[in-house]
Amino acid sequence: MPQLIDHLGAARDIWTRLAEDAPLPGTGSAIVPLDRIEEASATGLELGVHLPNDVEPEAAAPWFERLSLISVDFPSFADGRGFSVGQRLRALGFEGRLRASGPVISDQFDYLLACGFDEVLLPDDVAERQPPEHWTAAPGRITLGYQRGRTGRGSILDARRMPHSG
Amino acid sequence: MYRYDEFDHRFVTERVAEFRDQVSRRLTGALNEAEFKPLRLMNGLYLQLHAYMLRVAIPYGSLDARQMRMLAHIAETWDKGYGHFTTRQNIQFNWPKLKDVPDILDALASVEMHAIQTSGNCIRNVTSDPYAGLAPEEIEDPRITAEILRQWSSLHPEFTFLGRKFKIAVTGSEHDRAAIKVHDIGLQIVKDDSGETGYRVLVGGGLGRTPMIGKVIRDFLPKADLLPYVEAVLRVYNLHGRRDNKYKARIKILVHETGIDEFRAQVEAEFTSMDRDSVAAPDDEMARIAAYFALPDLAEKPDAPVEVERMKKLDPDFAQWVTRNTYPHRVPGHVAATISLKPIGGAPGDATAEQMRAMADLAERFSADELRITHEQNVVLPHVAIGDLYKVYRGLAAIGLDAPNKGLVTDIIACPGLDYCALATARSIPVAQAVSKRFASNARQREIGPLSIKISGCINACGHHHIGHIGILGLDKAGVESYQITLGGESTEEAALGDRTGPGFGYDEVPDVVEKIVETYLAVRDGPRETFLQTYRRIGMEPFKEALYAPAH
Amino acid sequence: MAKEFKPVVVTANDLIEGDSVFLSAQGWVRDIARAHVAYDADAAQALEADGLAGETANIVIGPYLVEVLLATGHPVPVLRREQIRADGVPTIPVGLDAQPVERAAA
Repeated sequence: MPQLIDHLGAARDIWTRLAEDAPLPGTGSAIVPLDRIEEASATGLELGVHLPNDVEPEAAAPWFERLSLISVDFPSFADGRGFSVGQRLRALGFEGRLRASGPVISDQFDYLLACGFDEVLLPDDVAERQPPEHWTAAPGRITLGYQRGRTGRGSILDARRMPHSG
Repeated sequence: MYRYDEFDHRFVTERVAEFRDQVSRRLTGALNEAEFKPLRLMNGLYLQLHAYMLRVAIPYGSLDARQMRMLAHIAETWDKGYGHFTTRQNIQFNWPKLKDVPDILDALASVEMHAIQTSGNCIRNVTSDPYAGLAPEEIEDPRITAEILRQWSSLHPEFTFLGRKFKIAVTGSEHDRAAIKVHDIGLQIVKDDSGETGYRVLVGGGLGRTPMIGKVIRDFLPKADLLPYVEAVLRVYNLHGRRDNKYKARIKILVHETGIDEFRAQVEAEFTSMDRDSVAAPDDEMARIAAYFALPDLAEKPDAPVEVERMKKLDPDFAQWVTRNTYPHRVPGHVAATISLKPIGGAPGDATAEQMRAMADLAERFSADELRITHEQNVVLPHVAIGDLYKVYRGLAAIGLDAPNKGLVTDIIACPGLDYCALATARSIPVAQAVSKRFASNARQREIGPLSIKISGCINACGHHHIGHIGILGLDKAGVESYQITLGGESTEEAALGDRTGPGFGYDEVPDVVEKIVETYLAVRDGPRETFLQTYRRIGMEPFKEALYAPAH
Repeated sequence: MAKEFKPVVVTANDLIEGDSVFLSAQGWVRDIARAHVAYDADAAQALEADGLAGETANIVIGPYLVEVLLATGHPVPVLRREQIRADGVPTIPVGLDAQPVERAAA
């Protein structure tokens, strides 16, 4: 079973990811391919979309209001396009849940959170070697980053400008 | 020089702890090698032919005596007593063990150093001009910009798993000693018509398998826009750069295939739409960083002290050293003095722990406690009073680093090659040594004049052979080392890629080949003032080809 | 025509130390002279599998087969790269062992 992880650790996945041509379910929460959003949005489903990492994130923008979740594909942990896809989806104004789907590793969790992601869906083999406690330990290992304008961790540049409390 | 504040200290300390944890997870198998490899690479740890290799960042090549002594300590404690200074102004230790690396990183952190992003598909150590801050013609110290970029790029959440490595260089002078035209992003500090300081931005340069000269993407970028603009370039690259072929994954290929005008339009669109204020470094932060790079307090001194003039007459090698190895300084009576790590027959860029300590001592006594590493694999003492030059020279002679050959034929750049490197196809260091011995005579080197030889042991071009006046590329031809020669390359503001002479030569033939090229130049040059590069540009390849390939009469 | 089979040994780098190791009857060793030699394709395949098992067990990294000559009675790599690697050191003196600097003649 794929394992869903968020900042609190293992989580239950309420979403069903639909195959290309599978029929839409009558109720529940479904993640559909990009080219089926229009069809799916006419239903009463709670709706999510799965984005490959080589399409323009703008393609999903017209549907933001209707989408509760966007799942971004990470075909391998070394393919970092998804980080920019996530960042851009947030910059475009998406406020729903953002999911990284694929064999990412716990060492990337902090980066994912800082690019706007909320959760990761791991394939079995990664989930087996990297139990939830590896994931909950990852954020905060580096308490502050240098970059500004990021979700998740704070910025050293901003912290430097704070008056010292002590 | 920049000094860590509490935040920098905490960041680096936490990063070492994170890496220690990654190493322990690797040893237990929680991380497999495929997963660990990019993590160790982005912390400078390679696996080479004989051992792991740790590449330590020397940001923009600047360090102080305390840091240099720590490098010596590391070399002695965890390595084999020496290190190798690289063309990216870094140092490599060739023999560390995986289990010792976290301790080495702790030792580095104690002197405000690290190995973050010295390898891997991320933004690498930002490089700069070894004469930064002291060159009389400079508009602004490029290290300020380089430090801002160093901080911004460190563990950048979005750009740490790029398609390929990403290198940025900054120059503050028109005369480019940072090779900005062969970087993924090159920044030149310029003034616009109103006198405002900003950047001329180049993109898509690089060496390696497909060498390219960078193209101008912005003629003038206001300083405040530095980080948003660089972030926009990186985002377009990260989203659109090729991932299907690692040899086509650098930004130069994307720029080339997209076309600079279309690429510029994409970057401008990203730059315009992003929340720039939330990304940019605030003015007071830029000012805070700039303050660290103020020129040390040096008193003006005489330009030609009697004692030094007398020693130049008595010791012609010293006279040549002063001519060749020093560069003018903005404070009268001072120079930047280059310590050549190219003794005749030595391994280019190597220094023993003893030599590192001696260089640290000299820096403390004579150079305001500062050293610089150059992309030519030498060390610079940036603030030496001319009156102290002979003492410095004698100090260098005592450790065998007094070669008066900066910029001359024996100031050879060479990657580690097949003696160390897992990627290499041929040896580099022994070739450099053989050529160096062939031209050992100082008088002959003087006669030949400025000539840069750059040797790479494989097509990845760590030895920058494309931009050597004479470039030497070592390849493997059916199990035998073969060396291709290029002529006419150049790394400065007049950057050019060398042209291939023709078929390659055997390992033992290289010194003869270089000698034939040099003899041809000497025979046809238009007087002793015409340099090798000028002659080559005037007469072209044919006479050299003739000398190298014509059947003997 | 099938390529003529050359005897092979399996090599890798030690996970902890990083140096070159070769699979022998006694496990992974530093000395190629003690390496187990495969004389035919089937034996080579089995040897490669043993090498990969060493990686899976987190003992070594990057196992691969190296062609060797046996003229001296011990396996010696065919390629220069592999010879240098098996020697465990560069082909030139380095660091403290490097030759004393020759002073250039004026």
